[in-house]
Amino acid sequence: MISDNPYMPIPAKLTDVIDETPTIKTLILAPDEPMSFRAGQFMQLTLPGVGEAPFTPSSSPAEPERIAITILKTGTVTQRFHECTVGQMLGLRGPFGVGYPLDELDGHDVLVIGGGVGLAPLRALILALLEDMKGVRRMSIKYGARCMEELLYRNEHAEWTQHKKVDFTCTIDNAQDGWDGHVGVVTTLLKDLDIDKARTHAFVCGPSVMLKFTTFTLLNEGLGPEQICLSMNRRMSCGMGKCGRCNIGPFYLCKDGPDINYAKIKDYPNVF
Amino acid sequence: MTRFLSQEAAVGFVERCRKKHVVIGLAASQMAWDQVEADACVSAFRMPRAAQSAKGFFMPVSESLGRYGAQAGDEGARPDKEVVLLGVRACELRARDYLDRVFQQGDFRDPMYDQRRGSLIIVSCDCVDCAESCFCPLVAGQPFATDGFDLNFSPVDGGFIVEVGSDRGRALLEECGPTQQKDAAAQQFAQRDRQRQQMLERLKRQNGDFEFDVADEAITPLPKDNHGDWQRFAADCVECGACTNICPTCHCFYLYDQVLGDDRFERVRTWDSCLLSSYHRMAGGEHMKLTPRPQLLGRLANRVLHKFTYSPQQYEMLGCVGCGRCIDACLGEIDIRQVVQELNG
Repeated sequence: MISDNPYMPIPAKLTDVIDETPTIKTLILAPDEPMSFRAGQFMQLTLPGVGEAPFTPSSSPAEPERIAITILKTGTVTQRFHECTVGQMLGLRGPFGVGYPLDELDGHDVLVIGGGVGLAPLRALILALLEDMKGVRRMSIKYGARCMEELLYRNEHAEWTQHKKVDFTCTIDNAQDGWDGHVGVVTTLLKDLDIDKARTHAFVCGPSVMLKFTTFTLLNEGLGPEQICLSMNRRMSCGMGKCGRCNIGPFYLCKDGPDINYAKIKDYPNVF
Repeated sequence: MTRFLSQEAAVGFVERCRKKHVVIGLAASQMAWDQVEADACVSAFRMPRAAQSAKGFFMPVSESLGRYGAQAGDEGARPDKEVVLLGVRACELRARDYLDRVFQQGDFRDPMYDQRRGSLIIVSCDCVDCAESCFCPLVAGQPFATDGFDLNFSPVDGGFIVEVGSDRGRALLEECGPTQQKDAAAQQFAQRDRQRQQMLERLKRQNGDFEFDVADEAITPLPKDNHGDWQRFAADCVECGACTNICPTCHCFYLYDQVLGDDRFERVRTWDSCLLSSYHRMAGGEHMKLTPRPQLLGRLANRVLHKFTYSPQQYEMLGCVGCGRCIDACLGEIDIRQVVQELNG
């Protein structure tokens, strides 16, 4: 629960910093009070005096007292988050949004498609499903990164696939010494999918251009728009559908998303 | 309940209000919201709507949302005094209803809005004159209010019919009104109704060139794509944000934090404008798409679509109340009536 004033952050102590890749770090936060969230809901992370930025926790919803936020260094604020040190006080506000529709997955195949740091919010989905498969028949994870150093959560991939219903494939954009895996952008992993297309939910998160081409590839592969859930994280600010800046058509991603069914938004301008 | 207050009695009412409450009205000379003299305030009841709406009293240009850090829990000063707002028009009441839906509906109520909203006593008045840009009948509005106020003043010969719309309004009238209060007479009601009808007809006449129909709050089929139709209007837009600032329903805001001292911080919100290129700015470097609406026409289209297409879906009402303030304010002389007329269907 958040306090009476939904604009004020709950103090959260930075208890650990994990160097994931040369550009990505995961901050582990212990909020003053446990902050329950559903996989896919996001929070506003405050750097005192600097401001806040929206992130979907990458940790399991089963651990509301230990929240992991995975951050790509991509601008001024994320740079400042990367400079944070263990023991420092930050703030969290939320959770906001609706989260992934876990209860609609019974009897379905789940296709998880991540690009770069986009695997972070999807990790919460993966961990939630590993904990309770909710009747999911199979979870197929497809992941792409720029190069092998940028592959996120590298030491967890094998762990995920220990579950007999889970498979994991990853790719890097260009060939590289020391890499004998798949090469190409993430959409190249989506051809001739061995899934039951009529009973599949796809969850996609990554940069805008990746979301666009992944969506088109999935449509080409025979999935319907209503089977594609896009993580359209934009400049979400208030988190409550009031400040106005994260709309796609009549939907506010902070309130109606940030993961939103493509069928809902496809006819509105500036989707990608 | 209705009463008749002579011109003199109305001035006396405002004078007594001013002794007991914070009273904000419009000075007839400038038509700007301020703590103005009673007679000027009452004269303004017969003027057209002011250039500026009453939005700022519901949602100030800038306000503190609270403090955090070493002084956590110190939420800063909050308005607790009742403010009497005099001379609010029907279009502004409708805009207030819209803001209520934005800030009070859904999973999260906005505590600052709630508090401010609760501390306002609203005295509205019929429009017996209008600006050239006024077009409320085109968006299913009318130049007088029948509800949503605490008190409403209808100018008639020699004074005003005062209608009570709430218990607070009744209490204010009893507290500050004349000791001997008269009921309004049948002929005064007749005059009020005649004037209202005349005003409505005048507004329809002055908007005779426009034929779009959004009666019953229906969704206007404006073009959804960012195609060239919007370009004609975007070419005139200078991206100043005047329309969003002056609009009584535009409510987008920007949150930022400021440092007050050692480990003491304050979160502030200010009005923002969806037309500005920095509005949707996201994190990222030079090779990334930093805003979903890099083109001005996309931002202009989004604003108009929000008013006429998205708002009915989000809040079951139009986001435009037809006050015409944006038409007066626009440096590029963009007329929203024309935009809707030309792009509709």
